[in-house]
Amino acid sequence: MTDKILIAFKSIGKNKNRNFLTMLGIIIGIASVLCILAIGDGFTHTMTKGMGNHDTRNKITIAYEPTTDVSTDNGFTDNDADILSKIPGVNRVKLASSSAEASAKASYKAKTTSIGLNKQPKHLKLVKGSYFTMDGSDNGIYISESLAHKLFKENAINRLITIDGSVFVVQGIYSIGSMEYRPDAYVAKKTFKELFSNQIFKDQAKLYLEAGSNKKQIGKTAVKKMKSLGEQKNTGKYSVSNPDAISKQFTRILNDVTYFIAFVAGISLLIAGIGVMNVMYITVSERRKEIGIRRAFGATSSDIRNQFLIESVVLCVIGGIIGIIFGYLLVSIINAFLPFKAVITGYAIILSLSVSTAVGLIFGFIPSNKAAQSELVGLLKEE
Amino acid sequence: MLKVTDVGKAYGKFTALEDINLEVADGEFLAIMGPSGSGKSTLINILGLLDQSYTGEYLLEDKSYKDVNDNELSQIRGDQLGFVFQNFKLLTTYSVYENIEVPLIYSKKAQHNKHELVADVIKKVGLDGKEKNLPSELSGGQQQRVAIARAIVNRPKLIIADEPTGALDSKTSKEIMDIFTKLNQAGTTIIMVTHDSEVAEYAMRTVYIRDGHLYNDEKSVKNHD
Ligand SMILES: Nc1ncnc2c1ncn2[C@@H]1O[C@H](COP(=O)(O)OP(=O)(O)O)[C@@H](O)[C@H]1O
Ligand SMILES: [Mg+2]
Repeated sequence: MTDKILIAFKSIGKNKNRNFLTMLGIIIGIASVLCILAIGDGFTHTMTKGMGNHDTRNKITIAYEPTTDVSTDNGFTDNDADILSKIPGVNRVKLASSSAEASAKASYKAKTTSIGLNKQPKHLKLVKGSYFTMDGSDNGIYISESLAHKLFKENAINRLITIDGSVFVVQGIYSIGSMEYRPDAYVAKKTFKELFSNQIFKDQAKLYLEAGSNKKQIGKTAVKKMKSLGEQKNTGKYSVSNPDAISKQFTRILNDVTYFIAFVAGISLLIAGIGVMNVMYITVSERRKEIGIRRAFGATSSDIRNQFLIESVVLCVIGGIIGIIFGYLLVSIINAFLPFKAVITGYAIILSLSVSTAVGLIFGFIPSNKAAQSELVGLLKEE
Repeated sequence: MLKVTDVGKAYGKFTALEDINLEVADGEFLAIMGPSGSGKSTLINILGLLDQSYTGEYLLEDKSYKDVNDNELSQIRGDQLGFVFQNFKLLTTYSVYENIEVPLIYSKKAQHNKHELVADVIKKVGLDGKEKNLPSELSGGQQQRVAIARAIVNRPKLIIADEPTGALDSKTSKEIMDIFTKLNQAGTTIIMVTHDSEVAEYAMRTVYIRDGHLYNDEKSVKNHD
């Protein structure tokens, strides 16, 4: 086999210019194929990595959003999780939070209200009081202007406020800008962790599905169930949150680009194939004498066909390899403009080489067959 | 070695060969003479299993190859026959060594000693040191030696030569004929086409073709005229 490939190299080398021109189409085609695969692979790779989970395909997230202003204790409860996990097709349910905020009840004298609570941020601008970093034993609290307004009529500083049974001293008041989001109160980091971390607002329920189950259907059922049975059905709304949604539009643009490149690849491979066929026809008719000689000295017609087929495939594979190198450079350039990294996988390289081989086989077949079928006596008359 | 009975061949309406009867014994050296266009090549192509479209019967070693498939035919050509042509028919982009090696590439005989076989025939035809040369770097006589080396590398029983000296001067022709004579003396059957009577003298026997008919001596050819 190696000697047959060497023969092919030799014959191709004899007509370098002609054969290189023929290869151009394959080079462009294969480079395009490689780009498509690299972009596609890079995209899926980034998407799956971005989700931090490899089986996103079998996961749906139900989101809860309170409709009234921070009036709930919790989003999803363990009860809700139990209901959701009983839906056919759901393996297990995990409750999660999109923020780290805890929900609690704050009271002053007879007044009680639900609040969102978080640990003290590094910087906070106060309108009243003075800001300092509280340690864990500190029972200080910073509250928002609106909460201060709700609970206390006059000055709130240094007043005592009860949060889920623990007493805190108001150390400062901050305002929340109209474009800003802040919880209603901040407590010391350690205190937050000890007292409230298990009260973090669960606004997401992640349903892990059995393989092959109907995502859409189960999502609908889950939302319906929550609407009728969810503990917070009156204070908020439930919906299927689609993590793909953000990327959907992007995927569409990407698809357009991919189709365009695929179109270029297809056209150039077709033109390349026709070029290969043409050059093989020329080769075969130029080498009738050689065919005759080989036939007279023992080559069967399939030996001849294989010789030209191998030549055609070698021609295309050389083009394919150059195309892969070219495609690699192209991908490096494209990566400068893409929001993610296109990656060339081993699979893409193997596929590119297979495509080149296929072009060589398909378009080399008819000329090679012609060579194999030629009448021997006629061939030997050639000079 | 071979027996031809009532063989005929037509190209369309044109009859190139008619009623050919010929027997060649093992170890014989036969010359076929005749003017240009008389049908010499046509006959020899049939004998060499290069042309299968003829009428009548042709037995090579008592076997008819008329209905044999292409693969078997190719194998017989490669292993049992050796061809030498007037215009050498060498692969111009291949070296002397590579040209001689061609029949070995396709041979089904087990060859572990390919290199030795080639080196051996190169010595036999007196081309030592020219292995790497291209045909274009050789004289006509040397090129024909390459062609002979190629024809004998597979140790064929029968060598078929179509005007092997047709393109050579008389001195070189003599050298080539000496090689043929040696091969024949070593036991190889040779059938050679020529229109040079001096060359034909190297053969044991000469037959004559005129207008597609075969004659066993020159006299009967003249009678025909
Ligand atoms: N393929 C062919 N088609 C038609 N006529 C042919 C063909 N080959 C040979 N001939 C004719 O057959 C006759 C014998 O040809 P050939 O055997 O080549 O002659 P020679 O070798 O004796 O010079 C010639 O008249 C030639 O023109
Ligand atoms: Mg002739």
